[in-house]
Amino acid sequence: MDIRKELQEDIDGETLNYCFSCGICTGGCPSAMMTDSRYNPRKILHRAVIEGKLEDDIWLCTNCYTCQERCPTKTKVADLISLMRRVYVKHNKIPRFIKPLVENLAACGFTQVIGDLENRRRERMGLPKMKHTREIRRIMEKTGGLYE
Amino acid sequence: MSDRYAYFIGCTTPFRVSNYDLSTRRVMEKLGIELVDMNDAGCCGLYYEVINELTYLSMAARILSMAEDEKLDLMVICNGCNGSLFRANRKLKENPELKDEVNQVLADIDREFKGTIEVKHYVKVLWEDVGMERIREEVSNPLDVKVAVHYGCHLLRPSEEMRFDNPQEPVSLDELVEATGASSIDYLEKSLCCGGYVLAANQDIAYKMTGRKLRNVKNAKADVMITACPFCNVMYDTNQKSIERELREEFRIPVLHYPQLLGLSMGYSPREVGLEQNRVRVDPGIFG
Ligand code: SF4
Ligand code: SF4
Repeated sequence: MDIRKELQEDIDGETLNYCFSCGICTGGCPSAMMTDSRYNPRKILHRAVIEGKLEDDIWLCTNCYTCQERCPTKTKVADLISLMRRVYVKHNKIPRFIKPLVENLAACGFTQVIGDLENRRRERMGLPKMKHTREIRRIMEKTGGLYE
Repeated sequence: MSDRYAYFIGCTTPFRVSNYDLSTRRVMEKLGIELVDMNDAGCCGLYYEVINELTYLSMAARILSMAEDEKLDLMVICNGCNGSLFRANRKLKENPELKDEVNQVLADIDREFKGTIEVKHYVKVLWEDVGMERIREEVSNPLDVKVAVHYGCHLLRPSEEMRFDNPQEPVSLDELVEATGASSIDYLEKSLCCGGYVLAANQDIAYKMTGRKLRNVKNAKADVMITACPFCNVMYDTNQKSIERELREEFRIPVLHYPQLLGLSMGYSPREVGLEQNRVRVDPGIFG
């Protein structure tokens, strides 16, 4: 399926065509700053809209929303990158660094396994114990979010 | 103003920084705010926002429905949970089709999202609902310390949705810090992200980003830094040593959860706000 079409059909894809490539988003982007603009949200948008391509660098966005606040055309840059990630997951495997979070959620309902060690510490501090839940696994199953 | 909230602490706090939970409970108790525990709530769904939207919205709606059952607004202490739950609540309230779809999923676990409550970060609760005057009344031990405030991202942004404080020049957390007697100092790139969100994908970028802010805070000669999110705190405090090693640079900046600072000014002892658990040692003597 055409990536462009997929992005556009999502309610979050509405602003995909607003961008006129001014580069203001990249100018204020912390991930761009840390990589000498090798990470570049303007280019990521351009690549998606013009070439219909998604590459691995979309996972380097911190989701800080600085770009979205500053964009003169009100392109929802950060939300679009989140959308691109969802579309990426549909077409590729789930990235390896996300896998443990998904597994923990399925196992106990938290992104980290909160076990005896953490609960003993909480008890010593007079804090209530955290309980695991299976409900989240049910939700993951029902929504195709288990990725096993 | 409400004096009861459903209290959601998410995953990172109980896993890494339970002293944040502890100090939050202390200050809320002092202010007469009752927190109703949600210990089997699990995760807010944040990560699924970038994996699978239906899973994300259903996970968030599940938490929201738990607070709805209590007929209470939901108070969160994590910027990540705030972004995820606040925005899911809004999206589902505005979109009946999505709401139906999510409720079909929730029916399976006997829950329903109705859209009857609000999500509030505790900074918002303190600043808007409790108010500065009430907070100042409880400050019995004014602190004399220079503080670098870190707001983090999802308390303020995307501002079009969050509609809290002034997103370009926020003042809420600075004023809350000054209420303790401390002074909030200016420093370079105050709105810079902690980098925590890309830590798993690319540690190099994350550490550089975290280190950059620690450097700016150090250059501004702050005594301590404060955060209002467990993940920002993990980046600046828990990971500070390994960032120092990685960047071959020394920061030694004590980092407190905001409620620890407020708690100290309310007369709680360092132990009562869990200060001995902060990774970078905090000398209680510095608070004057
Ligand atoms: S997204 Fe906005 S800020 Fe970025 S290049 Fe396009 S128009 Fe400019
Ligand atoms: S949200 Fe992502 S792309 Fe936008 S400024 Fe932040 S890191 Fe850069």
